[in-house]
This record gives sequence, structure tokens and C-alpha cells, in this order.
Amino acid sequence: MKLTIDGTEVEAREGTSVLDAALDAGVFIPHICKHPDLEAVGGCRLCSIVVDGEGPAVPACKTPVREGMVVDSHAKAAEDVRRTAMELILATHPSDCTGCPKYGVCELQSMYQYLGVSPARWRCRARTVATDDSNPLITHMFTRCIRCGRCVRACRELRGVGVLDYQRTPEGIRIGIDGGVSLEEAGCRFCGACVEVCPTGSIVDTLGLAKEGRSREDNVVPCRSGCPAHIDIPRYLRHVKNGEWEKATAVVRERVPFPETLGSICTHNCQGECKRNHLEGPLSICRLKRAAAVRDTGEWRRRTRHDAPTGKRVAILGAGPAGLTAAYYLAEKGHHVVVFEAEQKAGGQLRYGIPAYRLPDEVLDREIQAILDVTQGDDAEPRVEIRCGERVRDPKALKSEFDAVLVSVGTFDGTVLPTPGHELEGVIRNTDFLKAARKGEPMDVRGRVVVLGGGNVAYDCARTAVRLGATSVDVCCLEAEAVMTSTPEEREEAAEEGVTLHDAYAFTSIDESADRPGHVGAMTVHKIAKFYFDEQHRPVTELVEGGELTIPADYVIFAVGQKPEDTRDMGLELTHGPYVVADAEHRTSEDGVFAAGDAVTGTKSVIGAIEGGRESAQAIDRFLGGDGDISEVLLDADAPVQRIGKVPAGFYDGPTEPKMEPAQERKADFRPYECPFSESEAEHEASRCLQCDLRLTLTRPRLWNEY
Amino acid sequence: MAQELETDVVVVAAGLSGLAASIAAAEGGARVITLEKASNTGGAANMGMGPCAAGSPVQRASMIEVTPGELFRRHMFYTHYQVDPRLVRAYYFKSGDTIKWLQDMGVVFNSVRPAFRARERTRAYADGEYTWHVVQPEDGSEPGPRAATTMIKRMTERANDLGVEFMFECPGKKLLVNDEGAVCGVVATNKDGEEVTISCQEVIVATGGFGNNAKMIHDKIGLDWGKNLYSFAVPGMDGDGYNMCHEVGAGHTPVTMEMMYQLPDNMNHFYVEGAFRQPCYWCDKTGERFMPEDDIFNTTFVGNAINHLPGKVAFSIFDSKMLRHWKKDGPDIVSHVHPHDLYQGFDEQWQRDLDTYMDGAGNHVIAQADTLEELAEKIGIDPEGLVQNVEQYNEMCAEGYDELFEKEREFMMPLEEGPFYVCRQYVGAYGTLGGVLINHNMEVMTDDYKVIDGLYCVGTDACTIYGDSYNYSIPGNTMGFCLNSGRIAGENAAERVAESAGDEDWD
Repeated sequence: MKLTIDGTEVEAREGTSVLDAALDAGVFIPHICKHPDLEAVGGCRLCSIVVDGEGPAVPACKTPVREGMVVDSHAKAAEDVRRTAMELILATHPSDCTGCPKYGVCELQSMYQYLGVSPARWRCRARTVATDDSNPLITHMFTRCIRCGRCVRACRELRGVGVLDYQRTPEGIRIGIDGGVSLEEAGCRFCGACVEVCPTGSIVDTLGLAKEGRSREDNVVPCRSGCPAHIDIPRYLRHVKNGEWEKATAVVRERVPFPETLGSICTHNCQGECKRNHLEGPLSICRLKRAAAVRDTGEWRRRTRHDAPTGKRVAILGAGPAGLTAAYYLAEKGHHVVVFEAEQKAGGQLRYGIPAYRLPDEVLDREIQAILDVTQGDDAEPRVEIRCGERVRDPKALKSEFDAVLVSVGTFDGTVLPTPGHELEGVIRNTDFLKAARKGEPMDVRGRVVVLGGGNVAYDCARTAVRLGATSVDVCCLEAEAVMTSTPEEREEAAEEGVTLHDAYAFTSIDESADRPGHVGAMTVHKIAKFYFDEQHRPVTELVEGGELTIPADYVIFAVGQKPEDTRDMGLELTHGPYVVADAEHRTSEDGVFAAGDAVTGTKSVIGAIEGGRESAQAIDRFLGGDGDISEVLLDADAPVQRIGKVPAGFYDGPTEPKMEPAQERKADFRPYECPFSESEAEHEASRCLQCDLRLTLTRPRLWNEY
Repeated sequence: MAQELETDVVVVAAGLSGLAASIAAAEGGARVITLEKASNTGGAANMGMGPCAAGSPVQRASMIEVTPGELFRRHMFYTHYQVDPRLVRAYYFKSGDTIKWLQDMGVVFNSVRPAFRARERTRAYADGEYTWHVVQPEDGSEPGPRAATTMIKRMTERANDLGVEFMFECPGKKLLVNDEGAVCGVVATNKDGEEVTISCQEVIVATGGFGNNAKMIHDKIGLDWGKNLYSFAVPGMDGDGYNMCHEVGAGHTPVTMEMMYQLPDNMNHFYVEGAFRQPCYWCDKTGERFMPEDDIFNTTFVGNAINHLPGKVAFSIFDSKMLRHWKKDGPDIVSHVHPHDLYQGFDEQWQRDLDTYMDGAGNHVIAQADTLEELAEKIGIDPEGLVQNVEQYNEMCAEGYDELFEKEREFMMPLEEGPFYVCRQYVGAYGTLGGVLINHNMEVMTDDYKVIDGLYCVGTDACTIYGDSYNYSIPGNTMGFCLNSGRIAGENAAERVAESAGDEDWD
């Protein structure tokens, strides 16, 4: 139907309000209690209009459109009501906005800019209400509240939670929680809808939550931005919650080809970012990925990209997570890929660096096979060839046969420090030790073992030594426990298996055995009082006087870092020793030769290497004339349920713990000891997700300056 | 995916100076893209009431004779010629016409005012000129704080009409420089976190200083926000422009803050803050008075004074009799910032805050006690010093003459009747001023005074004209400089664009 608003002819559907019709047509009528996603209540009266030139002013948000109606938002009656309404709003709102976190993005500020500020007619009475920062994640600063009720409607109607309501107090009506209890006691789901719809700075994300230099979206959903591959975590957790394992895995697979592997061993930076850390502890995101992956039936395979062959050929050096990921996406873009792998089997660090009790061969074999199968699809020939046992030393030479080369050789050269005694027999490199165990030819460490280092690799070595029959295992590291890079769970589980930690010790000497000349007999370390970097970024250690400790040892394993092998003679520009220089597009100094993964970044994480593989695949595709778009849509788009309802039982429980083999049993062999979550455990754990991403589905109101 | 755009002039930030620059450049025929970190225009100017000008039509119509040259001299005497006279001249001599320019856009000025009228004996030093062009609010009502938002609205509408393309929630991050060292573009980040590269001929940086960046304030000014400084921290004023300009070799100027005084989290303690801004008994932590309290309405003087006290803190004390007097007769000094019903709201706020109101360093901000010793103990003044000094002060009150400072005798009220009330007073400030070296065309220069082609810096990022203190005697100065520096830069940028367009025709 057609109507006229402020002189402009506007078309609108029946049932629309005059306000929506005007805003849709680009005619701005002031309003503040109306939010695009919330029911109109006609409370603020800023949208006052006069219809057909007669009668009193009515709120446009509550007036349905009518054929031929003539609306005037500037009629005197409307302007009078609007002016009084705005004066009343501003009369109790602080007049100084400078300390407000919403400054510049505040809807009220935009509105008073549009309408002008005229407080003079009223005796102003600022209603100071103490700032309530006692709740996690959400801070209430109700001094700034204008009682528009958007938060109340969002919480009650949009979300079905109903925590916030109008409260009658001696100073007047204000927003609050029934009974004055905490948000958690009231049953808040911390979805943030109230924060999102608040037009002022009354309900805000707790200060400090948002990181500078991160986009709004990334700050609202920090888990997703914390994941190097940006897996859509809230989306797959919703599917896990509903027991939709295939869909959950498909979401993960849209970004990475190793869901179960990652579900077993990922460093899960996402969990460190999870907003639940401010409540009872983060979601077990990583384990939920595994819970879905082990139940996956492979439905996603039907929907992979599988572009037509391009006839281009790419060589990849190293079949680790970076190389295999790049291989997958390049093949799906239609390129033919040959992966050269120096070892006997594909997998890189996944195979030869991570112990089998964390990631068994079967899982890895299955996911690598899936890459080969999916990329071949219905083609006659495979698109990805993995040539094991072929160590390539000169990537440039491959350019005659291939259109592009990717160097993703990882870091397989374990570091041995020049500590006195490091050349003694019984001193072992982490890389050699773990690889031998994984190849089924383990080193003999049946004796007293000392592991030097504090990262996860050190613990992999320590726990492998336990399983190989070491009589004692001690871990010594420079860092104090609080700043060790290994995860606390890793240390805890190792301790249960009998591993002793000596944190904050400097490595003094590896001592020769009195009985067996030339062989390790003990490890001497010295307690550190203080460890820091000076102004020139040099490490400084201050030792505790008399803090020397000698640990009897038959074997000393260095687990203090590892670096790339083979890169020195590749003829590529290197940095910090053996690391390959690659730019943001993963290009090396040699045209057509790209590099990714640990060989570029230093030993990082599997998920980091996978993201390196993704990015280099995009760059190589563009180099080969493609569009660089490797995205895949493996399941239908779904709109998350907005009305999440009251808190389910157990919503405020801590993280669900998986079942594990007891330490005494698991330390006897290399079988995985952690069970995947059962279906009910997984569904329960996933239901703890705050669904921070729901906030981003809310409409952001357009301000007057955008009309 | 990264977005790439091309235009003639990019203005970085749409505060008052950025808006003026955008409009002036567009009026000069240039295509303009204006980046803004927030979703509103106006930046800090949304808080103000109006700009300073000399020789404006409004002044003339009110028979207020203030010529640009007169103001120029007054300004230079106030700053003892410590600031760039050509820059000051450029500003004042443009300012009258800028008022007309704004009127042509539809901005209405309610009146021209001084900030305050000083008492007779300090008039020569502390009086204000009639330069403050207070904006008439949209609905015709009497102007109050934030009246200038109506001017921002008119300017935003004017910019839109001229085809200025605003990009909101899209802060400028980096300036691009070509092989000749000229600035030739800006990299920004849009609301989805994606990079936007805009190539252009001229860039005008107008990002408003770094009042919200505690680290930069510490590093460049030496004050600790939340510890010994409680200045305005307007979100977004993070030093973006300062850093961007210096990255491409801009020269350095000292950075200052316009000192005043304020309480921590003052919005939530407004009645307390207002109640203590009276000519009662003000002292430092030894208990000694430091100024005639009849001057405490001059926030610049008091802010500067506190900044030089031990621990950068002062204490304002009154007794029960004074409180009764203010409740009955109203405050001795009225501020247009604090609530009118100050003392009606006082008791309630006082009781609520008494045990809970702390500053960022862990001190109680306020205290109450039946004796002065106890009061001093509670708030951190030397008790012996306070008692001794108050004794002398009370004697002077009885004599009716302040031997120490010749404070106005009507305010010589003794501290006698408990309970006594005390409040810490801290250094506050509006924002930061200066940092980027410019000439009187608003062109950015290197430390060797060589112009960086294609780059202008305006508004508070480049405002070095105050010297050490806020020039309260020429009110409206911050907005005035922003407006006029922005306008001048916009005009110059458009002129350069037009000139080079001519070049191309000849090629």
C-alpha cells in the first residue's frame, strides 16, 4: 500500500508500522526504545507523528500503515511530545559523556545530536546508581540507563530467559534483576543480547574484555578468532549439543581436513579465549570436536569443492599437517599434487613427534586416507600422490617438472644445548627419541631418565620414557611452573604417571658416571631465583645461593626446541639460522617456491601449521592463475535458534571431564588412554556454550547520519 | 577481502576538525572520503557548547568589539610568545569568517559569552573575553552542555549534501607514502576487520590526540592515568593520528594536557564532586593551604596548582555549619556542569560513597570525622599540620582578614563544627594537545621544517598554540582551533587537487 511520510511517498506492506515503513524507505524518524529485532512498545515517544493532519501525536512504532495515510513527524503536536520526551530522557542521564565506554557509538548520543540538547526547562536530577561490576562478563552502569526497556524485552521475549526487569525503588523505576541477586543466581545465560541492544552505556561488556586491534566480531566471539584456522566453533558446538555429529564435523571440515586429529591433540587456543573462563571454566571445545569426529559418517564428502582439473602440477616437500592440508585444498582446486615425504609414512610431526597414546596411527591413517579419497573423488587418477621415503634437497630443481613448489618440511632437528657433558653417551635428542618410539624401534631408556625442557614435547618425551620402562623420570626446566608452555593437564597427568617436575632450574652440567666412563651418571641443575630479559632482550638468570641439585641419571633427553633439517642447502633465503623466509603470501626468495608451517614459523602448533597450509594453498592457487578461493560449503546454512530459553540443568557446572584409564594402567603401554566423550557427555558439555555468536545475528540500528 | 578505493582527499576522523576539513575540501571541488572510528560524527565536540571566534557577525550584532589582531596579541601575551605566532594568527584571522560559514550552513548561535567573569581584584589576569559562540540547540531552548551537537548535525548534513563519503567504524591505520616521499593514501580497517586501502592526493589527519591512551600519556607526559591523573578518556582518542604521522616522518612538538581538576569516576559521584568545589578550606597533604580558595572556580589554576603539590593531590574540607549554609542558601560558587540540586542530593550520595569510594591507587576519596585529627588520619593529611594550620586559619576568619592569601572575606568561614567532611582533589585534564609539527597552512613538517607533501594535521593532534595551560580567558578555544585548522587544511587540500588536475590537462 502507499502512504506519504513527511512529504515522501512510501510503499509498505500491510501490518508494517509507520516507523518501519519510514525507516525502510530512508525517511528518518527519531526513535530509541524501538529496536529492529524487538517488539515496539511505544514507550519513548521520540517517534511521535501526527496522522492526516489531525488528532494528538501518536507513536509511529505502534501505528500500522494504512492506504493513503499522510504522516507528519514534524507537526507541532509531534515535535512538542518529542521534545518533552527527549528532555525527560536527558534529565536523568549524566550530562558528561566523556568517561563512557559507549562514547561515539552511542545511540542516545546520536539521538541528542539529531534532536539537540535542551535540559534547561527541568530541574535535573541525576540518579546515580552504583556501578555493578560484580558479575562476570557484563557490567551494569545504570546511572546511564534511560529505561527504554530494550534489554528487558531482549532478555524476556527474544531470548526467553527473563532475567532483567523493571524494578521499583525509592528513587524511582530502574532496570535490575529480581531480588537483587547475581546474574548467575537469576539464571542468566550470558548471551550478551542485553549488551547488544542497550542504546547507551548502561549494560556493557566488562571493560578489558575486548582486545584492542581485534574487530568487533572477533571480540564478541573470541574462540573463533583465537583459532588460527577460524573454525566456526559456536556453530559446531550447537550441532554437538543436538547430537548432530555429521553436521558438527562438517562445520569443522569447512576449515580443516583433520577433525579427529585436532580433537585429540590440538593446543586449543580457543579454550583460552572462551568467555566461560570468566565463569566456571572454558568449554572443552577440543574434546567436543573429537566427540563429533569419532561419530562422523562422512556425509560431508558429497559436497566437497572438487573443481575441474587445471592441468597444473604442484610439488610439496613434507607430508606433515601443513603439507597435507595444502595438498588437500590445491587438489580440490583442480591441481595435481605430489607430496615428497622423507620418512616411511606420511604425517610429519603428527606421526613422528606426537606419541601414539595421544594420537594413534589408525586415526592419522584414516584422515590421510580421507584426503586421498576425497581429492580423487570419481576421477580415474588420484589428484594427490604421496611419495614416501623421498627426501628432496633441492626444491628449485623441481620447478622443471612442477608449476609450483611448497616447502613444508617442519622441524625435525632437535636442539642439544652446549651444556658441559652434552657429548656423553646417554644424551638423547627429543626428535630422535620420539621418532624411534613411533617407528616401533624405541631407544632403550630402562633406567633413570632426566628430561630437559618445559614444553609439551618435554612431556611427550617424559611420558614416552615412562612407557618404555624408565625406573624414574624427572623433568627440569628453566621456567617457573606458572609460565611453562606445556598445558597444566599434561603436567598433571604426567605427575600421576610418576613424572617429577623441577621447575625454575638452570642446567649446570651433565655429569659423567663414575662406574661407566663416557656415559651419563647424573644431571646437575641450579635453582633460579629470577629469570628475565634485560633491556637488550638478553636472558638473565639469577641463581639461588646453595640451590644446586644433582639428580642421578642414566639418560638425559634434550627437549629444548627443534629446528628445520635440510633447509640450509635449499638455496632459499633463510632467517634466524635454518628458517625459511616467506612473505605474507608464503612466497620464498625463489619465484614459484612457497613455504609454510614450522619450517617458516618455528615450532608452533598443528593447527597453526594447518592454517599455514590453507593460506599457502590459496597463494599457490592464485599464482597458478586461480582465484585463491578454497572455501567449501559442506552443510546447509542454518539460522541459530534465537529463543534459547531458561538455563538448562547443569548450565553452571564446570567442564565435563572425560573418562581416562587410571595412571597405573595407562603407563604400561602406548594405547590412547582418554576416552572420547559419550554422546550424553558431549551433548551436556556443548550445552554449556554461551553462544556468543548469537549477538552478531542481531540487527544494528542505523543512526540518523546513515540515512 | 581487502577493499581498494580512490579519491582526491581522505580525512582521517570526523570530529569537529575532520568535519570542517571535509566540508571545506568538498566545497573546493574535491572528492572526499572521511574515515571515522565511531559511528557518530563530532567526536569530543559533542560535549561542547560552541567555538571561539573574533570579529564574527554574531559579535558585531551584539556590539562586542573583539578584533582578530586584539585576540592575537592577548593570546601571545598569555603564552609569552612560546607558541607559533603564524599559526595563532592564521586561526584568529579566519575565525570570524568561519562563524559566517557555519551560519550559512544553518548553524544558529544563541549568544557570545565569556567563560566566566572574574572578581574585580583578579580581573586583569583571569577575566574572560566575549569569544565563546554558544550554539543554539535544535529546538530553540536555552543552551546547556552539549549544545554544540546541533552544530555537528548541521555540519554532517552539509558534508552529506556535498557528497562527502563517510566510512563509519573504519579507523585509519597507516599512511602510504610514494617514492618521492609524498603521502599518497591511507590504509584503514573496516567494521568487519578487513583492510581498506584508499589512494588519494591529500590526507588530512584529525584524530583528536591520545587522551584515551594511558600508556602514551605515561610515556609522553609522565602522568599515570587512574593513579595521579583522572582526565577525560574519550573512547577512540588513542593517538592514531599522532602515530600515523610520525611513522611517515612528521616532526615533533611538545605534547601537553589542559589541566583541570576532577574526581575519579566523577559521573557516579557527581554530587560529591560538586559539593566540594566551594571556597572552603583547601590544603595539601601537610595541611597547608596553597591558594586563595575564592579562585577554585578557575579549573585551570587549580589543576595546575594540584599538579605541583606533593603527591599531586589536594584536599577540600568543610564543616557542618558550611554544609548547612549551602543547603539553605545554595552553593557559594555555581558551576554549570554540576547538578542544580547539589546539596539536596548530597546526603544520600555521601552515605552511599563514604566507605566504598576509592581511587585507583587504593586511597579513600572521601572521609568524615568528628575531629580534625581523626579526619586527617582517615584521609591521609598530616594530623598535626592540619590542626595547626586550621587553628591559624580560624583565627584569621575571626579577624576577617586572610593574611596568607587575601582571600575574599565573605568566604572566610572557620572550620569549627564537627562532623567535618573532606574530599581528595586530583589532577584532571580534557585531552592531549599537540605532538605533530605543522605550519600555518596546516601542512605537516619534518623536524627540519620541510613540508611533507600531501599531509595535513589539524585539531588537537596539532594544536600547540596553548603553551602550558588552557587559555580560559579566550573561551571556546579548543573548538575554535579545531574548526579553523580543519577548514584551512580542507581549503588548501582542495586547492592543490584543483591545481594538479590542471596539470594533467596540460600533459
